[in-house]
Amino acid sequence: MIELDRSEAIRYMGYHGTQPDEAVQASLTRCGEALQQAAEPKSIYRVFPLQHIDAQTLEIADVQIHSKNLARNLQGCSEVCLMAATLGIGPDRLIARASAVRMSDAVIYQAAAAAMVETYCDEVNERIRQEAAQRGMYCRPRFSPGYGDFPIAHQRDFSRLLDTPRKIGLTVTESCLLAPIKSVTAVIGLSETPQPCHRKGCEECGKTDCAYRR
Amino acid sequence: MKLTERLGKEWIFFDGGMGTILQEHGLKAGELPETWNLSHPDEIIALNRSYFEAGCDVVNTNTFGANALKYPDNLQEIVQAAVSHAKTARQQAGREDAYIALDIGPTGKLLQPMGDLPFERAVELFGETIRIGAKAGADLVLIETMSDSYEAKAAVLAAKENCDLPVLVTLIFDEKGKLLTGGTVDSTVAMLEGLRVDALGVNCGLGPKQMHPIIERLTQISSLPIIVNPNAGLPRSENGKTVFDIAPAEFSDLMEEIAGMGVQALGGCCGTTPEHLRLTIEKCRKVPFRPPVAKRRTVVSSFSQAVEIGPKPVIIGERINPTGKSKFKAALRENNIEYILGEGMAQEDSGAHILDVNVGLPEIDEPVMMERVVTRLQSVIALPLQIDTSDTTAMERGMRLYNGKPMINSVSGKMESMEAVFPLVRKYGGVVVGLALDENGIPSTAEGRIRIARKIYDTAEKYGIPHEDIVIDGLAMTISSDSGSALVTLETLRRIRDELHGHSILGVSNISFGLPQREIVNSNFFTMAMQSGLSCAIINPNNEAMMKSYRSYLALANLDEQCAGYIAAYGNQPAAATPAAAGSTAMPLAESIERGLRERAIDAAKEMLQTVPPLEVVNNELIPALDRVGKGFEKGTVFLPQLLMSAEAAKAAFEVVKDAMKGESQQIKGKIILATVKGDIHDIGKNIVKVLLENYAYQVLDLGKDVPPEVIVDTAIKEDVPVVGLSALMTTTVVSMEETIKQLREKKPGTKVVVGGAVLTQEYADSIGADCYAKDAMATVHYADSVFGV
Repeated sequence: MIELDRSEAIRYMGYHGTQPDEAVQASLTRCGEALQQAAEPKSIYRVFPLQHIDAQTLEIADVQIHSKNLARNLQGCSEVCLMAATLGIGPDRLIARASAVRMSDAVIYQAAAAAMVETYCDEVNERIRQEAAQRGMYCRPRFSPGYGDFPIAHQRDFSRLLDTPRKIGLTVTESCLLAPIKSVTAVIGLSETPQPCHRKGCEECGKTDCAYRR
Repeated sequence: MKLTERLGKEWIFFDGGMGTILQEHGLKAGELPETWNLSHPDEIIALNRSYFEAGCDVVNTNTFGANALKYPDNLQEIVQAAVSHAKTARQQAGREDAYIALDIGPTGKLLQPMGDLPFERAVELFGETIRIGAKAGADLVLIETMSDSYEAKAAVLAAKENCDLPVLVTLIFDEKGKLLTGGTVDSTVAMLEGLRVDALGVNCGLGPKQMHPIIERLTQISSLPIIVNPNAGLPRSENGKTVFDIAPAEFSDLMEEIAGMGVQALGGCCGTTPEHLRLTIEKCRKVPFRPPVAKRRTVVSSFSQAVEIGPKPVIIGERINPTGKSKFKAALRENNIEYILGEGMAQEDSGAHILDVNVGLPEIDEPVMMERVVTRLQSVIALPLQIDTSDTTAMERGMRLYNGKPMINSVSGKMESMEAVFPLVRKYGGVVVGLALDENGIPSTAEGRIRIARKIYDTAEKYGIPHEDIVIDGLAMTISSDSGSALVTLETLRRIRDELHGHSILGVSNISFGLPQREIVNSNFFTMAMQSGLSCAIINPNNEAMMKSYRSYLALANLDEQCAGYIAAYGNQPAAATPAAAGSTAMPLAESIERGLRERAIDAAKEMLQTVPPLEVVNNELIPALDRVGKGFEKGTVFLPQLLMSAEAAKAAFEVVKDAMKGESQQIKGKIILATVKGDIHDIGKNIVKVLLENYAYQVLDLGKDVPPEVIVDTAIKEDVPVVGLSALMTTTVVSMEETIKQLREKKPGTKVVVGGAVLTQEYADSIGADCYAKDAMATVHYADSVFGV
């Protein structure tokens, strides 16, 4: 079962510097429990060799990626681990159900599920880190399609390379959105030398005017 | 000999792994395995041949992922080559007795509404592959590794509609016995039996050991031959590669054990090799074969639940029906599906097992509405549905798009009715309600009704619909016009149970039509009916008296073990309801709304309406409270969940006021269309805006998510809507937003467009030609107010 990080969920609800009142806190507890029941977390990852073609072009398996931000993130890496994780379709159903009758629950589900999928990714990321460490490799912060200039269209390649529809039920729509909604794909760079600065999450992202920025 | 002549009468052996072997031969990650049909024909032939030579009776073509989404340009070539390779292999192996299965895997897409693949598009995609494969000479269609019952249904329909070959289906369950989309062994078996596949079973995902509980359940409930194709153990990752550990000798021992469990066909999946199969066949052939046994269970199902009818009576919620309900009729006319979903959820919470769905109204397009309501209901409610209509086109749309085995209401003993309904039940599956009436009307005696019931059973059988898929309506007629009618109905129920060995159903409350205090008669008649053998009660589950009859009957009839259900329902309640707390502790309406307390807002509104005229309640309390919350949100002192809780409290209070106003017309500020644009399935922002706009007295035409530009434009024209609100989450879907605006400008100039969504900014909104960028829901309300001049 995935723990609910309440402070992250509250941040995703749009609260800055204040705590929600009792009623919202109670709803968060109730929705969090329902999500833990409904979620079927599944993940898959696999290590691929990485080729640096030039300062903004990378090659992973049969895919070429043009992204300065990603290239910078992966500087000095010889391999990448591609990962995909999903909470399954249960949270989507809870959100759809709440949307029909009680929208306040829907936004709370939405925020809590977003926090949960991040927590789950951290768990998967930690497994990847440990496996890499056994081989003397170090992980870079995970980087997802859609961050900075890393084109979201690469969701399709991730899905194909990891066979996510069959392995974990994660699909990509025509518009490159992930379905189920509470899903993440990411690249984790692996290098033989540790990287001193371990920036992750918001600080890494170029969208500085984001409402949810920490 | 034909496969169907052997299946279920003797052991049939399927082949083993394909993809995992090709990977060993050099298939790269992400490389589409079916391309090898053209690039490495010899390897595919050799692999097929090795399975024929190992003794497999059914060998799969290398077409698991062959569909037009993955092969838009050369699908035909890929599939033809695959079938031709299998034929060559069969000939080389000298196994003309064996069969070639056209292998059909999932599309790799999630179906609507959770994903973006429409059900009918999935049917088309499967159909295309199946037509090519059947024409090329495949002997059967094997639909496998299905993790979504809905997609499996699309594939089965495609097979039935595009070829005459046997159709076999195997699904992928996890260790909890669930499909990825929530289906269980029970729910999927009900659906697949209803669709009349030739055999069903399980493959992939698990090793033979982990499959035991699933296989056991299959043997308990399936009347069809069962196929078991496990992996060579659970997958394990080794240096980034997936490996399977169970060697041929161990695998075949485990399969021998499974053969003894009462299954009829065995094979392998990922990680298994021709050697795994050779040993399996050698050992399993010696296990005595047991044919499948007809289970004669009456079951309906949803995507995740199966409901068995009998021996315990089941409750069918009757509230999704416009008859006599003006709000429901209005919801249908305004296409307000949320209202209908709300009715469904309330009944689910009250304890209904199945929901009746009747959306017939003379002025609406019933087939379209049936399709819409069924697809929305089944995406948020886990209860099986009863499709209730006399319009056979609407019935077929509902049955076709239904994700499970539905209940159908109804057929009668009239030939015309049976000729229209039975072919649909035959094709799509379902448990059908047979009304005990015919061309001569409703018989006044039980004898007459039983005679018609027999005719319905006999005719159904001619269509291949078994006895257990019929439930007879004994017809409850009001005792106010014929005081003997209840006795006739009860006798009919008894005879359905005792003489016909069938199941019965009643619209229970009809018994009291025209009488005062109907609940008293209804709840007592309900008990009598259950005592006489009633299997299904169509009632209002929100009616406490009816549920009390139901729960106490179960407890008294030894159908509620240790009275657990009864105690759960009534154990923690005071014996008599305490009267509502007096006004002294009540919270003022405005405060209840500001604090987002829905129940209190309802109470406060009711109380206030006793002394204050409705319009004053709205103008002096409701609206000012909402405004204060809205301002707080804009200042950053109130946050989104609170804003919405207040909106919901206000909405509930508005409902109370509306009821008090009765005849007086509701003032609507204006009509607004809301839609999440094509390609986008994230509609939460749009739904937030909707709640707020409705609070501020706008009529919202909610077109949903993934809405094509044409639908938005057509609705704006048809309904003459001056303002359209569009939402999109990603840059990839803002493109559709731009297209929608372009089409609106062309076909309905002057329409105001307000846009919002995560990636949008003022500049972005300007660049795609929107009239307004709304940064949040309140901003949309302000814009609407400015357009409508209020």
